[in-house]
Amino acid sequence: MVEQTEKGVPAAEAPLPRGEDPAAEGHRIAPLRGDLSNTAAFFWGFTCIAVVLAVWFVITAGPPGEAEKRMVSPTTLPSVEETARAIPRVFGERKLVTNTLVTLKRVCLGFGLSCIVGVPLGILAACFPALRAFLAPLMVFGRNIPVAALIPLTFFFFGIGEFQKVMFLFIASVAFVLSDTAAAVLDVPQRYVDTALTLGASRWQIITKVLGPLAAPSIFNSLRLLFGLAFGYVMLAELVKFGSASGGLGDLINMSQRRGEREPILLVLVIIPMVAWAIDRALWWLQSDLFPYRYGGAGLIPRFCGWLLHGRRTEFRP
Amino acid sequence: MTGAVPDNRPNNRPDTPGSIRPTPVDPPGDGRPAAVEFRGVTKIYNEGTSREAVAIRDVSFTIPDLPDKGEISTFLGPSGCGKSTVLRMVAGLEPQFPPTRGTVHVLGREVVGPGADRGMVFQDYTSFDNRTVLGNVTFGLECRGVPKRQREAEGREWIARVGLDPRRDAAKYPHELSGGMRQRVAIARTLVLRPRIILMDEPFGALDPATRLDMQDLLVRLWREVEATVMFITHSVEEAVYLGDRVFVMATTPGRIAAEIRMPAAAAPARETQIEPWFHEQVSRLQAQLESIEAAASRPGE
Repeated sequence: MVEQTEKGVPAAEAPLPRGEDPAAEGHRIAPLRGDLSNTAAFFWGFTCIAVVLAVWFVITAGPPGEAEKRMVSPTTLPSVEETARAIPRVFGERKLVTNTLVTLKRVCLGFGLSCIVGVPLGILAACFPALRAFLAPLMVFGRNIPVAALIPLTFFFFGIGEFQKVMFLFIASVAFVLSDTAAAVLDVPQRYVDTALTLGASRWQIITKVLGPLAAPSIFNSLRLLFGLAFGYVMLAELVKFGSASGGLGDLINMSQRRGEREPILLVLVIIPMVAWAIDRALWWLQSDLFPYRYGGAGLIPRFCGWLLHGRRTEFRP
Repeated sequence: MTGAVPDNRPNNRPDTPGSIRPTPVDPPGDGRPAAVEFRGVTKIYNEGTSREAVAIRDVSFTIPDLPDKGEISTFLGPSGCGKSTVLRMVAGLEPQFPPTRGTVHVLGREVVGPGADRGMVFQDYTSFDNRTVLGNVTFGLECRGVPKRQREAEGREWIARVGLDPRRDAAKYPHELSGGMRQRVAIARTLVLRPRIILMDEPFGALDPATRLDMQDLLVRLWREVEATVMFITHSVEEAVYLGDRVFVMATTPGRIAAEIRMPAAAAPARETQIEPWFHEQVSRLQAQLESIEAAASRPGE
């Protein structure tokens, strides 16, 4: 193991047998920035969940029917058992799955629009300083504007339907997509551009064959992180609304709040991070597979595409 | 400008064709334009401001274009002497290009910008990570619009010439290659375009000594095939002596050429040549010259 070298024991000295040096034992359990085995990592993760549940259980415990004897009143925080009992209702009557899909559709449309506009514009902004300077005020404004304050305006601009929610997400995220893309392209070292120039590439070829592809892994990584941001914004758009029920997880929370039900809100709050986390992991897998040279994935998709395109000449090894 | 170093080439070495090869300093009289010609080239950054910095001052030299031969010129000198500036000016790369004063001519024409006729190999690995070895080697042909089938055939040929296995290595990505293999890819990528001038900016600087010797042999072999003019920057005196038909020794503050020395061409592989007495003599002579340049640069009041 590494604990001996970490303590700076000279190589000539015989290392102490494990367990005899109390300091070394401490280094083994809590190594400084070291790797943790999967088992240990899961153990600590589950311990955290267990601690949270235990605290929740203790502060809401009490004999049935005698709510006033609880440490925290059920009007503030329902007990674990009460919340669990609400699960069928949230999935059935409140259509949790449908509402989740409605929310996801809005994020995908709004954020997708941001990507369609922001990524090409960001690449061009990084390549042409004049365009970058032209867009700079918009980027500063877009990144620093308090997004919640945008909602009233979007009602005037885009009405109260789906279009307003999609456009709100677009406005809230496009500046981040644009500036992150531009930063990723600017981060590509100049030596690649110089190399391409000495190989006879034109300016346009440098953008499409060198800068774009070399920045793609970083751009994808930014978009993955920004998707999480957009997923947070969509709740805002769904919580602040006019008119009748429009669906979505934010609407579900809104409805429960008006009816004075705490349990569905708690459940939705647990579901949202889980959905966001699952999407993030799926995107991460996609990212590492698409860019194996950067993120060490298996490269199944690129190799499969290469095999489809070039047929027999390249070998497809799953 | 040109250092008066006596020609002590070992003329009694029959196996050294370079020892009897005429290497004129001036362009040949037949009117053939020089491969590379610098005339009073000066590069000053932020001229006239408080941040003024002189990279090179009044650099003039000529590398002749030898019919069907070409030659390797190596550039030696301490850091900051403007070696890279000279090379990048030939390549036409900013910000070193254009010169503040003076002109750079390549094969009789003034350099106006970068182009595939002057290939360049850099010290830092510049393989395009998103492309396979074959994709990297055929990049320049792709930019020219050569059809896929033809450029891949040429690419495979060059992958083999630089000592890689076209069958096994062509589909690999740069991150799967060692440093030496990456530089082989970089060399193949440049040579597949058949440039008349090849610029190498410390291409073997990051390699371990054994790989470095292999790469030197590779370069000497390839250069005989392509008959191009090579400008090669190095920090290693041994490398400069072994590879160079002529060695330009550069000095600092301001960057300038202190000496131009002709060298015998090495006929034997790097490992054999570099243990011979004449080779050691040349190396220590150059080493002394470099040390005196560095000592002069570090003296106060210079």
